[in-house]
Amino acid sequence: MDQRAMLEPNIRTVLVCCGTGCLANGSMDVFRALQKQLETEGGEFQVRTYTKATGCNGWCEKGPLVKIVPDDITYCNVKASDVPAIVDKTLKKGEVVKKLLYRDPKTKKYFKSHREISFYTKQLKVALRNIGEIDPANIQDYIARDGYQALAKVLKSMSPEQVIDEVQRSGLRGRGGAGFPTGLKWKACASQAAEPRYVVCNGDEGDPGAFMDRSIMEGDPHSVIEGMIIGAYAVGAAAGFIYVRDEYDLAVVNLGRAIEDARRSGYLGDNILGSGFSFDIEIVRGGGAFVCGEETALLASIEGNVGEPRDKYVYPTEKGLWGQPTVINNVESWANVPVIINRGADEWARVGTATSKGTKVFSLVGKVYNTGLVEVPMGTTLREIIFDIGGGIPNGRQFKAVQTGGPSGGCIPASLIDLPVDFDSLTSVGSMMGSGGMIVMDDRTCMVEVARYYLNFLAGESCGKCVPCREGIRRMLEILTRICNAQGHPEDLEILSSLGETLQVASLCGLGKTAPNPVLSTLRYFRDEYVAHIVEKRCPAGVCRSMTEFYIDASLCTGCGLCKKNCPADAISGEIKEVHVIDQDRCIKCGECINNCKFQAVKVR
Amino acid sequence: MRVKIDGIELEVQPGEILLNAARRAGINIPTLCYHEAFGGQGHCRMCLVEVRKGAEVKLVASCTYPINEEVEVKTRTPVVEKIRQNIVMLLCKEAPASEIMQKMYVEYGCEANLLEPNEGERCILCRLCVKACEKMGASAISAVFRGTSKRIGTPYDEASADCIGCAACAQVCPTGAIEVRETSDTRTIWHRDFELVRCKECGRVVGTKQQLDYLRSKLNGITPDYELCDTCRRHRAAKRLKDYVRV
Repeated sequence: MDQRAMLEPNIRTVLVCCGTGCLANGSMDVFRALQKQLETEGGEFQVRTYTKATGCNGWCEKGPLVKIVPDDITYCNVKASDVPAIVDKTLKKGEVVKKLLYRDPKTKKYFKSHREISFYTKQLKVALRNIGEIDPANIQDYIARDGYQALAKVLKSMSPEQVIDEVQRSGLRGRGGAGFPTGLKWKACASQAAEPRYVVCNGDEGDPGAFMDRSIMEGDPHSVIEGMIIGAYAVGAAAGFIYVRDEYDLAVVNLGRAIEDARRSGYLGDNILGSGFSFDIEIVRGGGAFVCGEETALLASIEGNVGEPRDKYVYPTEKGLWGQPTVINNVESWANVPVIINRGADEWARVGTATSKGTKVFSLVGKVYNTGLVEVPMGTTLREIIFDIGGGIPNGRQFKAVQTGGPSGGCIPASLIDLPVDFDSLTSVGSMMGSGGMIVMDDRTCMVEVARYYLNFLAGESCGKCVPCREGIRRMLEILTRICNAQGHPEDLEILSSLGETLQVASLCGLGKTAPNPVLSTLRYFRDEYVAHIVEKRCPAGVCRSMTEFYIDASLCTGCGLCKKNCPADAISGEIKEVHVIDQDRCIKCGECINNCKFQAVKVR
Repeated sequence: MRVKIDGIELEVQPGEILLNAARRAGINIPTLCYHEAFGGQGHCRMCLVEVRKGAEVKLVASCTYPINEEVEVKTRTPVVEKIRQNIVMLLCKEAPASEIMQKMYVEYGCEANLLEPNEGERCILCRLCVKACEKMGASAISAVFRGTSKRIGTPYDEASADCIGCAACAQVCPTGAIEVRETSDTRTIWHRDFELVRCKECGRVVGTKQQLDYLRSKLNGITPDYELCDTCRRHRAAKRLKDYVRV
């Protein structure tokens, strides 16, 4: 069935979200159960009904999500056992199953359509425009939503120079993190005399907790492919490579199928759409190294070499893959290109700030109500993202900091909550855009431990080639581990700063240059926590176990027994309705008691 | 084109590597991973210098930076000196058994700190050994693992069939980190024993049998006197020449 038929009034479509988060929560069971029941009972419906497995809707917290169009109904946390109710009430009678609707935790109001929910109202989907609406395995679904129209427009009516000019005018900056102007990059490559030239898509997304590119590759692979074909036409490339993180199985499958379908439809291969322009794409699976997200390491990896970066005094646009001029852009950048061509640079650039145009996708995770994937105009404030879209901090806790830009991003404190999110603002406060990770932290987060955690990640993921990054991270981690184990020294802070500054300027690639960000930003905004650890041997957040002691404030304890029930070490004693006590010898300091207490009666000493 | 390095003006070819240009001008930029035979690697970052063009100032590794525009270079600024000091400190903590690092630690005025020295280690991971092995054509060793676990080794730390026991790696190593053990007829290096070939005239070690076989295979039928050491071979050549002239 194609998209046009789907929009006819006598046809109803059930869209089951089969993005990463929903799949993990059993959405495939929901999809199969729906298909099965529709097969057996389909004849009884007044309206012809179809099911579709779509990509990620972004609202992973409430998954599996099921949307029904054209009725515009969104069901949350759907299980296979809910399928009979959906079929009987909604699909047969057109009624809503109330218990599956989203209910606002504050106003207790039910919402029929996801469009009205605060998680979606402030979003603007450009890169994610089709995801959740189409079946990624069906090229017709993509075509029905203006797919490959930009390519046709480019090939029929635009010269390569005009394409570059349009992209340059849009102000699109690389979504992979560095924010380099895409049009400028293309122009630099196109101006080279050497041939062949290549275009590469960087899909080696490796930041912990980030899944923006994954969702696009899984949920709308044609948008990336179309962007790449347009880019290849603009710079005169004959071949393209999509470098996909090895763990992204579904992305590899969906991209592979999409490439085959695009070939069959004449969008890839020789003489595309009769224009005389030929181009094809190959998928390269990554080798499992985080550092291969760095472009020169990625190119080395495609060539079959060890994924280590090189100095970029000569850019890949001049000497890239196999020494040839190469344009390398991130998944999200490529997915934006067809929209720029279709709507025109001016229209695309209508949202955003003066220096950061368009929208940006973030994966919003951590201590926030609505975890998931969000796309907002550049310049949206952290407050809007975390509190309006994300719904704020759960369990009555306080917002403490947000880390943006992945493991080597900085931690931004609550005092900067009204910071607009764009490339330059994030850099100015010591963090970065990165590829769009956003990890929200509450007052139960120890900032020294956070810095230690990320340095530990980077110690294993640095390529180990240059001295500042390899040895600097090793030593900064040594110091942070010591501080977290109550063995810090006052002079440690000075060495941390000095090493951090050396890494920022002396490291070979972006990984090393940004690696000290978590340390330097927490030193800048949360220095008192470092001092508490080092001087008072105290972890204010109650996270670092060697210096944490939990106790129950007798004046606040109601004797509800929740802490006792959740204690994995049987360290809490007390009868119901009586004050509870923590046995310090048995306590393993996991923090379950403090996390579960509804009366703030568990305190940190 | 013309560049200015530490106030000295000099003419360079477009694309010339900055470190080479500086050395030509008699300016010494410190390096740890650079060797004339292999070119720049950009690993140690000791050779970082400040490059200015107009108002733009950037730090570049002079061993890999090709000069493509007329720039002004400063090889010893406070920023650069601080970086070098930190690099020396880090490497000396990581390879405290290396004499050259101990010497540099004093030379660069590194202050004592609480970082734990990695006792007994000599390797600074400059990878000159890997480059030498590559240049010999054997490529028996490489930098293995990632991040802070990175080190030099043969595949799976086993005796490598590709190793010819030439010990070029050990010879080029600036810190003496590669262990070579020799008895009267055997050399042990990288988990493998090699049969030593001695000079027929003077008895000095010429190389390993595998090394000489390898060289013969590369020379396509040309067979120099491999049973002799360099000195005795020169003696023999001189004698032959003398006999030839006398006739």
